[in-house]
Amino acid sequence: MVNIARPIRHHNLITVALLFLLAATSSAQDWIRTGTGLGVEKVRLAASDFKPSTTDANNAALLKTFNDVLWNDLDNAGIFDLVSKSFYPLQEPGQPSEVNFPAWNSPPPNASMLAFGNLGAAAGKVTVQGWLYDVKNQASPQVLGKQYTDTPTTDAVRVIAHRFADEIIFRLGGGVPGIAESKIYFVSERTGHKEIWVMDYDGANQQAITHLGSISLSPRISPDGSRLAFSSVTKSGWEIMMYSFDLNRMVSFPRFGGMNLSPSWSPDGKIAFSSSRNGYPNIFLVDASGGNSRRLTNDHGPDVSPAWNRKTGAQIAFVSGRTGLPQIYTMEADGTNVQRLTDQGYAVSPNWSPNGQFMTFSWMRKYGPGEPGSNDLYLMDVASKQWVQLTHDAGRNDFPCWSPDGRHIVFQSHRSGSDQIWAMLADGTNVKQLTFKGANTQPNWSWK
Amino acid sequence: MAAITDIYSEHGQLRRPLAWSFGLHVAFAAFVVLYAVFIHGLRGEGWGSGGGGDAMGATLVSSVPLPANPAPTENVLATESKGLSKSQPTVPEKEPEAIPIPDKNTKTKIKPAPVKTATKRKPEPEPPESNRIPYGEGGPVSGPYSMIAGGAKGGFGFTGSGGDFGSRYSWYVQAVQRKVTENWLKYEVDPRISEAKRVYITFDIARDGHPSNVQVEQSSGVPSLDQSSVRALQRIDTFGPLPPDYSGSKVSVEFWFDYKR
Repeated sequence: MVNIARPIRHHNLITVALLFLLAATSSAQDWIRTGTGLGVEKVRLAASDFKPSTTDANNAALLKTFNDVLWNDLDNAGIFDLVSKSFYPLQEPGQPSEVNFPAWNSPPPNASMLAFGNLGAAAGKVTVQGWLYDVKNQASPQVLGKQYTDTPTTDAVRVIAHRFADEIIFRLGGGVPGIAESKIYFVSERTGHKEIWVMDYDGANQQAITHLGSISLSPRISPDGSRLAFSSVTKSGWEIMMYSFDLNRMVSFPRFGGMNLSPSWSPDGKIAFSSSRNGYPNIFLVDASGGNSRRLTNDHGPDVSPAWNRKTGAQIAFVSGRTGLPQIYTMEADGTNVQRLTDQGYAVSPNWSPNGQFMTFSWMRKYGPGEPGSNDLYLMDVASKQWVQLTHDAGRNDFPCWSPDGRHIVFQSHRSGSDQIWAMLADGTNVKQLTFKGANTQPNWSWK
Repeated sequence: MAAITDIYSEHGQLRRPLAWSFGLHVAFAAFVVLYAVFIHGLRGEGWGSGGGGDAMGATLVSSVPLPANPAPTENVLATESKGLSKSQPTVPEKEPEAIPIPDKNTKTKIKPAPVKTATKRKPEPEPPESNRIPYGEGGPVSGPYSMIAGGAKGGFGFTGSGGDFGSRYSWYVQAVQRKVTENWLKYEVDPRISEAKRVYITFDIARDGHPSNVQVEQSSGVPSLDQSSVRALQRIDTFGPLPPDYSGSKVSVEFWFDYKR
C-alpha cells in the first residue's frame, strides 16, 4: 500500500483522499473469507489433566472425578478429535505460564486446542481454574479462561467439570450449548414397579422421581424443565399425570376418561397426547393445565405417539394405523395437511430433531410372516424423506429421543440382553450404555 | 429415355417465348440505360458534381450483367420444369456456406455468455452441452453420486485495517466454516447438475453470533445452487458469540460454495 500510495500522492490529491476514505470504511469491520471444501475435520483437542493448586488431602479424589468427567464430556460431545493422553508431553501445565506451545502443537500431540487448569481445595471451598488455549496461535492463544468455586464434594466438582466442558463445546461448536448438564428421564422397573426416573446425560446420578406403585410410562419433560408429564394407570384407566419440579410433588391434571397416552410438549408449553375418550385413539391438544381440549385427528385408525417439531412448534408427527400397520405421519398443529413419511413396514416412536430437520424413529422395514425384520432406529430428513439406518444388528431398538444440541440420540435397546438406555451420536456412532440395573425404557432427553 | 424426349419437345415449345423474353429484357435494359444516361446525366451536370453521375452509372452498369446472362436464364427456365440435375447443385452450394456460419456464430455467442471460460477453450459441441445441463437441456450425469470432493484449493483471507480476526480467532473461523457446511443440504441443488461455478455469499455476524444480511455476491449461474447456499445460512440461528475480547461489533464473511457431484 505504501509503495502504491506514494506515486499517487504526487499526481492526484483527490485519489489519495479517496484511498483514505476506502481504508477508513474497510477498517470498520473485519472480513472473513472462507468456504466449503476446505476440510471440516473435528477440532483436535488435548485435555490435559488438571493439577492440584493446593496441598489439601481431598485434592486427589476431587481431581480424579474432575478429570474423568471433563474427559468424558469432551469425548461425548462428538465435535472433537481428542488427542490420546499417551501422546501428551511429560510436563502438563497447570497455569498459562507453564504451557509449552511447541510440545503441544507439533506431533505427536499435534493439538490445535489445549484445555488445562488446576483445582485446589482449601478451607471448605474448592476452586477450579480452567483455560482453553489455541496452541497453534502463540500470539493470542487464550480462547477461554474460567474460574469456579464451590463446596469440595465430588458432586460439586462433577458439575464444575460439566460447566467447563460445556463452555469449551459452546465456543468451539459454533454456539450450540453443550449438553453436559442436561438430564435424561426414563422408566425404570428396578423397584418392581414401572416408575419415572432421572439421570445425568452420562448415566450418573440415577434417581427415582415417582413412587406411585402403579405403571408409569412415557415421561416427557416440559421445555422449561419445571414439569414432567407422563401416563400412568389410575382407577379410571390410563391418564396423563403431571409432576412439578417446583413443588417436588404430583400436581393435578384433568382426567379425560378412556386411554390417555404419550403426552408431548410443544415448545410453547402445550401438550399433545393420544386419547381414546371418543372410542378410537386420536391425537388431542390441551394447554399446560389440561384445559382447552381440542381434537386434532379424526379417523378410525389409531393415532398415537405425537411428537412436536421442536423448532417451529407448528407441526406434529404421530403414528397412525389408518392404513394397517403403524406408519409415521406429520400434520400441522391444527390437524391439517396430514402427510405420510414412511412407506412400508412397521414404524413407531417418532421424535423430531431440535432443528426441525430430521425425524428419528423405530422401524421394522420388513414386517410380517417369513420376514425376520430387525427393529432398528432410522433417521429421516423430513423435507426430502431420505433416510439412513442408525443401528444395525443390535437387538430391538426403540424410543429414540434427541439431545438438546441435536448431536446425540438416546434410545432403548435390548442388545445387552435386557432393555437398557443407550446413547449415541446422531450418525449412529459412539454408542454408549447408560443404565445397567433392572430394565430401563422410554428415555426422554431434557430440552436444555 | 421418355424423359429426355419430353425435355427436347419442351425446348421446342419454349424457343419462341424465350426469344421474346430475351428481346424484351434487352429492350428494357437499353431503356433503363438510356433513361439513366439522359436524366441523371443532365441532373448530374445540373448539380455540378460529375463524380455522383459516374457512381450512378457504375451501379447501373452492374445491373447490365443480368441481361448478359442469357444462357443461364435458359437453364433456370429449364429447372422450373424438370432440370433437377442442374438446379439442385446450385442451391446447395449456397446453403452449406450460409448455414454453418450462422450456426457457429449462434453457438459461440450463446454458450460463452451464460457460463465459463471453459467453453472458449473447447468450442466443440459436446463439452459445452455437458456444461449446459443447468439450463434444462438434459444429459448424462457422469460420476458417482457422492458428496463434494474435498480437493478444492483455497483458504480464508482477511482484510480490513485490523485484518487479524482470522489469525487471532482462527478457531471461530473454523467453527463458522464447519457450521455452514453442516447446514448446506446438497440435495437441494438441481440433481441434473454435476458441477457448477463457485457461488459467493456474503453475510454479517453480529456480536451475539447471529448471521444477517445474507446476500449472493456472485452467482454460480445455477439458481438452485444459489438458493441452497442462502438457505444454509438461513438455517443457522447463531455461530456463537464473537470472541469476548474482539472489539468490533460485527464480522463480515464472504463464504464460497463449491458444488461437485
